[in-house]
Amino acid sequence: MSDSAGARLIGFRVGSAGAALPLGIVREVTERPRVVRVPGSHAFVSGVALHGGVALPVYDLKRFDPLWSGQRPPAPAGPVAESGHLIVCDWGEVALGLLGDRVDLVEETETEAGRADGAAAPCGVSDAYVKRVLHRDGEVIVLLDTDRLFASLGVPAAEPRGRRKPGEDDRAGG
Amino acid sequence: MKLLMVSVGEGRYAVPADAVAQIVDPAVEVDFHLEESEAVYRGERFPVLDLHAAVGERRGPSPVYLLLEGSRRRAIVPVDGAEAIRDVPAGDIAPLPAFIFARPRRAFRGVFSDGRDPRLLLDENGLL
Repeated sequence: MSDSAGARLIGFRVGSAGAALPLGIVREVTERPRVVRVPGSHAFVSGVALHGGVALPVYDLKRFDPLWSGQRPPAPAGPVAESGHLIVCDWGEVALGLLGDRVDLVEETETEAGRADGAAAPCGVSDAYVKRVLHRDGEVIVLLDTDRLFASLGVPAAEPRGRRKPGEDDRAGG
Repeated sequence: MKLLMVSVGEGRYAVPADAVAQIVDPAVEVDFHLEESEAVYRGERFPVLDLHAAVGERRGPSPVYLLLEGSRRRAIVPVDGAEAIRDVPAGDIAPLPAFIFARPRRAFRGVFSDGRDPRLLLDENGLL
């Protein structure tokens, strides 16, 4: 059993691939907001959304090529072409949003967990970004390595919890 | 903060009104013409910056031209329409996080709510 067995996760779909994040970094999950494209931004940045008065960068992981070991994940079957939800994450001093579908809570103890041991997780996610491979109801879900993923997306590194002094509560992007 | 609302192709943007020295409509301004990558306005030559290319849009058939003043230089910037001037409190404009940009120089610096969609604010000093 893994050292984080019992951890609560947020599961979601990126195209047809199953992914998960630690619940602790997730501030909230919302319907997909209006996102405005920002010319000159990285290709994997969908744009920004106004969220609580802050310009929240919104990422579409389908567009982040290094995440995928081969082809990007195909869109799921059905009429929905765009991801329907936004997962708002706190990462150190900044917040960011990830687009996803079928967002759900995942209890890691309910799963059969193991480390990714090949070049790619079964759902096509590159092993470099996989912390653990989980199985639930016959589906493969990869727990993403957020340190590596967010660093690769260019998001500033999160400070370890407790290092900041009280009152140091700057606005993101300010 | 007074902002000039402009359209560039399908995109809707805002320009700080303080940075706009003149809005030139070539249909009514006789002392304005283009020469390759420059514009001549009232006898003075200005570089023409292609904002359409910067935002990945096609230029419309009847552009108007903004004479923009940055901290370093002045330039002519074609847009497809100058729609209105709005007073937007500076506190309502959220700065764009620098880490989303692929290059250090960037054409936009903020975003604010403009009805249904957010609207980007041009960074005249980044553009010019």
